[in-house]
Amino acid sequence: MPKVTDVLYYLVHVQELRSIIQWKVWHNPVHERDESTESKTLRRCFYFLDQTSRSFSAVIKELNPELLVPICLFYLILRGLDTIEDDMTIKLGEKEPLLREFDNILEKDGWTYNGNGPDETDRQLLVEFDCVITEFVKIKPAYRAIIKDITKKMGDGMADFASNAEYNANGVNKISDYELYCHYVAGLVGEGLTKLFVEAQLANPALLQRPHLHESMGQLLQNVNIIRDVKEDFDDGRRFYPKEVWSKYADSFEDLFKPGNEEAALNCSSEMILIALRRADECLFYLAGLRDQSVFNFCAIPQSMAIATLDLCFRNPDMWKRNVKLTKGHACQLMLDSTQNLQLVCDVFRKHTRSIHQKNTPKDPNFIQISIACGKIEQFIETIFPSQRPDPTLSVKDGRVLSPEEEAKAKKEAQEAKWDIIYMGAAVFGILFFISLFMIFIAYLAGARFDVIYNQLRSGNLARPSAGEAQPILNNYEHQEL
Amino acid sequence: MPAEHVLVTGGLGFVGSAILHALLNAHPSFKTTVLDIKPTPLGYKLPSGVNYIQADLRSKSDALRAIRGTKPTVIIHTAGYSPTGSARYSQTERAQVFSINVKGTENILHAAREEGVKAFVYTSTCCVISDDLDHDFPNMKETLPTGRATTVYGQSKTIAEHLVLSVNYPELATCALRPSVIFGPGDTQLIPTLHACIEKGETPFVVGDGFNLTDFTYVDNVSHAHVLALENLLGPKSAAGEAFFITNGQPIPFRDFCLAVWTEFGHIPSYEIRIPKTLAWFAGSILDWVTWMTGKEVTLSAGSVKDAYGVRYASIEKARKVLGYSPIVGLQEGIGISCKDYYERLNGK
Repeated sequence: MPKVTDVLYYLVHVQELRSIIQWKVWHNPVHERDESTESKTLRRCFYFLDQTSRSFSAVIKELNPELLVPICLFYLILRGLDTIEDDMTIKLGEKEPLLREFDNILEKDGWTYNGNGPDETDRQLLVEFDCVITEFVKIKPAYRAIIKDITKKMGDGMADFASNAEYNANGVNKISDYELYCHYVAGLVGEGLTKLFVEAQLANPALLQRPHLHESMGQLLQNVNIIRDVKEDFDDGRRFYPKEVWSKYADSFEDLFKPGNEEAALNCSSEMILIALRRADECLFYLAGLRDQSVFNFCAIPQSMAIATLDLCFRNPDMWKRNVKLTKGHACQLMLDSTQNLQLVCDVFRKHTRSIHQKNTPKDPNFIQISIACGKIEQFIETIFPSQRPDPTLSVKDGRVLSPEEEAKAKKEAQEAKWDIIYMGAAVFGILFFISLFMIFIAYLAGARFDVIYNQLRSGNLARPSAGEAQPILNNYEHQEL
Repeated sequence: MPAEHVLVTGGLGFVGSAILHALLNAHPSFKTTVLDIKPTPLGYKLPSGVNYIQADLRSKSDALRAIRGTKPTVIIHTAGYSPTGSARYSQTERAQVFSINVKGTENILHAAREEGVKAFVYTSTCCVISDDLDHDFPNMKETLPTGRATTVYGQSKTIAEHLVLSVNYPELATCALRPSVIFGPGDTQLIPTLHACIEKGETPFVVGDGFNLTDFTYVDNVSHAHVLALENLLGPKSAAGEAFFITNGQPIPFRDFCLAVWTEFGHIPSYEIRIPKTLAWFAGSILDWVTWMTGKEVTLSAGSVKDAYGVRYASIEKARKVLGYSPIVGLQEGIGISCKDYYERLNGK
């Protein structure tokens, strides 16, 4: 049952309601999973996918069959790793070896874990982790090697952070630490997925030659999560905003949540958004390297959501008070636009970039840098989809150059249009002319003295005579007539 | 690199003196000579070891005499004239602009060929493309045809650039650099004009959507590019006969550059009024008449409105690839330095 506030919201935002309906009615998955051919353990894996992932399960399930299971398992494995890392009830002595050894656990038949605290939302996944392992050993060895490798790197990275006393006591310090953290939890996912896409021949192998592109894909998503969840994380006693950033705006991080510091908080989030925004052009570049529609959708939807969320958070004081979220209608609109082609995704990026720019203010110390970052995105889009005509004097229609025949035709049409306007103008003025003549004639019949007016005008009396002056003039004429 | 003798024309000017300093820093062993139409101002001291020669390049014999007398191996031709204010959009200074920019370039090129100069770097401008004020130029590339500029300045620079590039031979390697709007310490046009808007109360007005990207280039990046171009022409010569856009590689909305400058002077407009393009153009046209009748300069004119709302920025990929160019001073830093410099000039320090 929808909430009353929702109903009211969509009554005002009909466009968003339309998007929801369109998405529900018209969206056809590129691929659909076939449950009948799945084993019992695999079905259990998909159950966990639905349980653990709010945003990713839908896009994963529409993936190309070649990668459907590997990516589903990849997700669950990382989620398992994350559930161990996240759980503050697990002692470091137990946690660290688990994280570092997790890649070997993936091949231990029947391994399960029930050491998670009772409040850990995804603890059940680890309790039944044996079904993930059962399915994992069935996938192609090449995919398995990629997933194992990333699991190892991520486990080690998480263990490094977990055992770092400084980080545990004070949170993320330098911007470089923040980037490193995001690399472990998201950049590596980008690397693993890219390798899977290329292995399955669904992406351009050149993507592997430019590792900074998939790094940016992961970084942007993770940056946005951290920016948006600042309040939620703070309430949970965690802080991912690096000290190097927030210390410019406040003496202590808590201060940014206090009333009276709104301006400082906004400037702080501006700098965080700026860091994320600088990744956007590389994300578009990455998307240009994907060859399969389902893979494109899988990658593009989260990116569009990310840029829209950045826009939502930019200079929005609410994000320091509560968790701000895109509306469902907006999300559906973004999904519609992100499941077609790169040009539409670029349009989404441009739209939100401009919206961010619109809100940018010189009061913000990051003003000029944000403006530069927005310009960079705009220029990048221009390089892949030039709006510029090859030659400004050539005739162009809908972005393409016309052939000489078309040009001649267009010229002829323009010529005809010109004469249409001339005829219409002539008709309008002609009618006005006749109506005027007719009115003057009626006035003449009714006794108007045009001869008096004519003579007065000729002698230079342009002003209308006052009532007193008029009579003698008129008398003058009357006498003449006599 | 063997010691060369570099002649910088217009070397007392805003860009010319920056090029001179970049050159002295990069190649202290080079002999350098400054050529300028003006005598060195009172109290102005050229860096030690730099020769000075006064010559008017509009005169063929003057140009030849200057080159014969100094015998440079390389010429950086920066001397030029750009009409400012309403003259930028009119024909009033046509004769003067053409005699300096076209005739001057022709004369010094002639002298360079006569006297066996090896390399010739010409300071052109992105206006050879973008001064076609009725069109937008997003992400300009060097492949765009020239010859459509509508301003006197753009037209004169186009002809001069053609002259320079067309005499590129193995004996005399030439290239042209096309910087966009240049700003920096000593700038007498951009920052002072924008600063004056504060006094006149013109800062709240935004023409168009305010998102038209424009390139602004910090002067040190321009001079850096000249040194790179010179090195290229003396070395691999891959830049010979070519033109390059030189910018900061950081296009931003025109409005944002203005706001950033005003902020440096402690001014932030407290409100904004958006004016649609056509209305602004119309108002500008009327103000053109007012200017014409009263003889008083107003910032707004039909031409300056087009300059303010046009999209004009270039890709610097070619300069990156061929010259190895990369901006050395970022936009924000450059704006800070330039405004501080202008503030000190205003306060007579």
